[in-house]
Amino acid sequence: MEAEEFRLVREALRAFAADHRCDTAEVGQAERTTAQKSLDGLGLGELRRSTPPLASAQECALLAEEYGRQPLATSFLGTVLLAPEVLRLLAVTGRHAPYESRPTVALTRDLRFTGRYSDADHVAWDAEGAESALWIGDDGTVRALELGGPAPTTDLLRVVREAHPGTPDSVLGRLVPEQLQAWRAWALVMVSSELVGAAASFVEQSTAYARDRSQYGRPIGSFQAVRHLLADATVAVEACASATRYAAWCLDHAAPDTALAAARVAKAEVDVSAVEAVYAGMQVFGGIAQTWEHMAHLYLRRVRVGATVLTGTADLLTALALPPSGPHVVEAS
Amino acid sequence: MTDHDVPLDFGDPADLDMLRRELRAWLTEHPLPRRRNGEPMAEFLHRWHRQLHSGGWVGLDVPERYGGRGLTALHQVAVSDELGACRAPGVPRIGYLAHALLEFCSEDQRARLLPRMLSGDDVWCQGFSEPGAGSDLAGMSTYARRSPDGGHYLINGQKLWTSYAQYSDYCLLLARTDRAAPAHSSITAFALPLNRAGVTVRPLRAANGDDEFCELFLDDVRVAVDERIGAEGDGWPLAMTTVNYERNALDTGHLSKYGLLLERLRRQLREHPDALPDGLVSAVGRCVVDYQVLVAHTRRRTAERLAGRPAGPESSVDKLLMTRAEQRLYETALAVLPEELHRDGGAVYGEYLYSRAASVYGGTSQIQRNIIAKRLLHLPSAS
Ligand SMILES: Cc1cc2nc3c(=O)[nH]c(=O)nc-3n(C[C@H](O)[C@H](O)[C@H](O)COP(=O)(O)OP(=O)(O)OC[C@H]3O[C@@H](n4cnc5c(N)ncnc54)[C@H](O)[C@@H]3O)c2cc1C
Repeated sequence: MEAEEFRLVREALRAFAADHRCDTAEVGQAERTTAQKSLDGLGLGELRRSTPPLASAQECALLAEEYGRQPLATSFLGTVLLAPEVLRLLAVTGRHAPYESRPTVALTRDLRFTGRYSDADHVAWDAEGAESALWIGDDGTVRALELGGPAPTTDLLRVVREAHPGTPDSVLGRLVPEQLQAWRAWALVMVSSELVGAAASFVEQSTAYARDRSQYGRPIGSFQAVRHLLADATVAVEACASATRYAAWCLDHAAPDTALAAARVAKAEVDVSAVEAVYAGMQVFGGIAQTWEHMAHLYLRRVRVGATVLTGTADLLTALALPPSGPHVVEAS
Repeated sequence: MTDHDVPLDFGDPADLDMLRRELRAWLTEHPLPRRRNGEPMAEFLHRWHRQLHSGGWVGLDVPERYGGRGLTALHQVAVSDELGACRAPGVPRIGYLAHALLEFCSEDQRARLLPRMLSGDDVWCQGFSEPGAGSDLAGMSTYARRSPDGGHYLINGQKLWTSYAQYSDYCLLLARTDRAAPAHSSITAFALPLNRAGVTVRPLRAANGDDEFCELFLDDVRVAVDERIGAEGDGWPLAMTTVNYERNALDTGHLSKYGLLLERLRRQLREHPDALPDGLVSAVGRCVVDYQVLVAHTRRRTAERLAGRPAGPESSVDKLLMTRAEQRLYETALAVLPEELHRDGGAVYGEYLYSRAASVYGGTSQIQRNIIAKRLLHLPSAS
């Protein structure tokens, strides 16, 4: 995209987020539907529809960061960034019949990448406005699952629903191994980017609070213990931003296995540092951040669940310490 | 996210690959020097410095008229990378001094001092810290008194922690030129030849056994006005420029050193999977993350620099990230390679000890946090 065009798209997303940001965890369905319509109206679904796509991975990742900055009850990751990318990749190889439904992605019940058995226990993640969920097997097979009722989640703004194979079982096509790697890298980067945006925004808000709130007759931001807490949170956020933006660039410019390695690094950093940054911010807010009314727990819920979405930190660290050998190994995480 | 956060090019410019190949070719024709029996590290590094310079591999981002190659910081980073990858000693650590001289010297001084600094004809050290002025550098008391006729200065005082002063020809020295004025406008920088009468250098032994840093005693040392760098009072901004570069993720050859050690740790895990407790696999994974984040972060800073954003207080973020990576890496290395824990004088143990200094030199980690709080987050001060 041209720089100016990107600026305009980001501004539109920012304006949408300002209009529809949630102040509490209780969001009615009517509100959700209106917000989703408004988000869909921005036409961001077009960004990765064609090949070559209109927007680069790095641009999409920066948009995911922007989206993550506000508590929102809409679906951007699942239905706009993750599932459409699967369909785009399938279309590249021509192994895919036209698919009219609006899908999000299916994950295992503990929100990991789906693996070998499509009849195992699955949910549709980030499913607001979705009509189906894409299941992606370890061998690259892509299936459409049907949606059921709501599934439990602690990230209260994110819609998660039951998902199960339909009858007849609907196979949409198959990703080749490099595409599967590319998609997993893409998913890790986009989810990480959203969490980077959330952590960065929350730290900025707590920094602003530290300037305003006074105790002992002076702003709490003048106490070194508070300053150092916020400085460390800032370093944590910068580390996350560097890792995810670099991984996003790799999606555009490097081979899929390189991009996947960089994406794992990014997710592993974000899993730890985004959560720590939000903890620091909450500490700065003091008691108010422990209430139901304050937005702090919306950020906490998002990053804390986010830190386990797609893959767990323990699996990532093992994979990074002991990388598999061989050119065509695609592991489950 | 600010509006500065636009898509960046994290890749190598086209000419970088050529430079890397050129350097590799040169290295095969000019084998790495060997450290002679009993040769002090600093002297060995100095020989290496001259050898590198003879091939044109020093000061890549310094303009050609001062003996450099007029390329970018990115080229300098690539040279560090390549040297690290073939286990060569790092690039001479003069980048931050050269930048300070470039910015503050007169044209005449630049032409006189820089080419000899780059070639290694003159070795430089940095005389900022004092016994009473470490973190609070502005509290320094070394005093340079202007002679009544204005023709020279007489300097008295003491410096501490002056790394490699015993092997140096010049010291970039900070001293007060006005005792009445506020600290930040009364500090002045000098290019002090260390063979000048009245200078005494006394080496101190470091915890790892190396004789890196020194005490510097200055007793009625006479320096000429044209040995002053910049105007009176320019010393403080000069010091800030120096430390910004010193803390910067770009101006170090550390990355490839970390990378090599990390490879060794991973090999140990692969080859002796049962010899180590489980938790260590995760610990090494964490070090991989730290290291790769630092690589990504360095590339981001380089890309920002090439996109025209100057180096500033965010170098404190870089320094803290580097410290995190280094300290955790060496901590983990002693666990994964337990034999190194008992090998005093061994490279790993020596570097482990030195990793503890990472949160002290170039401004302590607490001072970096203070800078971030004040200059990046604009938090209010106590008063
Ligand atoms: C290996 C090595 C090489 C060095 N090389 C050089 C060199 O070549 N040239 C040179 O000029 N200097 C050099 N130094 C000196 C270095 O810059 C100082 O050691 C450093 O700035 C800290 O000063 P200090 O040692 O006096 O500690 P102090 O300033 O006394 O600090 C002691 C402790 O108090 C804390 N502290 C101090 N002030 C504050 C504050 N405001 N807020 C919170 N905490 C605070 C510090 O973080 C530290 O933990 C070197 C140091 C080392 C270790």
